[in-house]
Amino acid sequence: MKNTKTIIISVVAVLAVIAILAGVYFALAPKAQQGSKSVTVEVVDDQGTTKSYELKTDAEFLSQVMDELTKAGDFSYEGTNGDYGLYITAINGVTADYDADGAYWSILVNDEYGMFGADSQPVADGDDFKFVYEVYVQ
Amino acid sequence: MYSNTEPDNKEHKKIFSVLDIATIGVMAALLEVVKVALQAVPNVELVTLLIIVFTLYLGPKSLIAVWGFVGMECAVYGLGLWTIMYVYVWPILVLITCLLRKHRSSQWPFVVLASMFGLFFGAMCSIPYFFMGGYATALAWWVAGIPFDILHGVTNFIGAAVLFTPLTKALDRISRMQQ
Repeated sequence: MKNTKTIIISVVAVLAVIAILAGVYFALAPKAQQGSKSVTVEVVDDQGTTKSYELKTDAEFLSQVMDELTKAGDFSYEGTNGDYGLYITAINGVTADYDADGAYWSILVNDEYGMFGADSQPVADGDDFKFVYEVYVQ
Repeated sequence: MYSNTEPDNKEHKKIFSVLDIATIGVMAALLEVVKVALQAVPNVELVTLLIIVFTLYLGPKSLIAVWGFVGMECAVYGLGLWTIMYVYVWPILVLITCLLRKHRSSQWPFVVLASMFGLFFGAMCSIPYFFMGGYATALAWWVAGIPFDILHGVTNFIGAAVLFTPLTKALDRISRMQQ
């Protein structure tokens, strides 16, 4: 009987220390590394409705940010890869057809028109990207 | 002032008998063999248990066997940061075992000791990192190794629970034969 008690005490003592160590581990172990750049992305669709996203990313180019947003859900895009890189045709299901009505998705970087396509637009910490549905009127 | 011409009347008491020296040599060799035999299995080792059992029979003298084992490890693997850890970590085990010696009638204090030693192995080994990189480095190093420490503690518990009694019985028989 005494022996059983000793065994139980021994097992409990060891389990208690294991529990404490596990607690320390889960409290202090390095979490999955977050991206080091924080950027905001805003989508202004054909109705003028704005939808904004904030994320931390290690992406080098805007198209990678778009892929990350797609993976996270609540964002989608379509595009074609042409001679000038990625040409965005649709965002969040809104298709801009230039041939039909002169509509296109423009990219604004920190509120200025971007100089690059999405797949060559560099991403810097604090950048603000806007995808705006615009129509070219002749 | 000093008249050292007279021979010391007191018989010089030898700390180590010939038998001790032979035993310590065999123990150090056994530690190394057991270590090498099990090193393919991560975190499963019988060195802890063997040091506990040896210390129960030899007392603090087993420190010599422990450092002999550390010396052999250095000869095999070369010097590293782990050398510093080994030089003080295993003697801690010898010391605690000496303090628990009077509880020898039961195996459980020593099963718990073996297990705790495994669980805190990483914590004890992180001390050199404290001097190298400060508190944060030591803590990060320790925390990163906790899963291995837990495994180490569990396997030490099982190993000691299964093997402590057979080993002490065998050593009892050997020490009876020596008398």
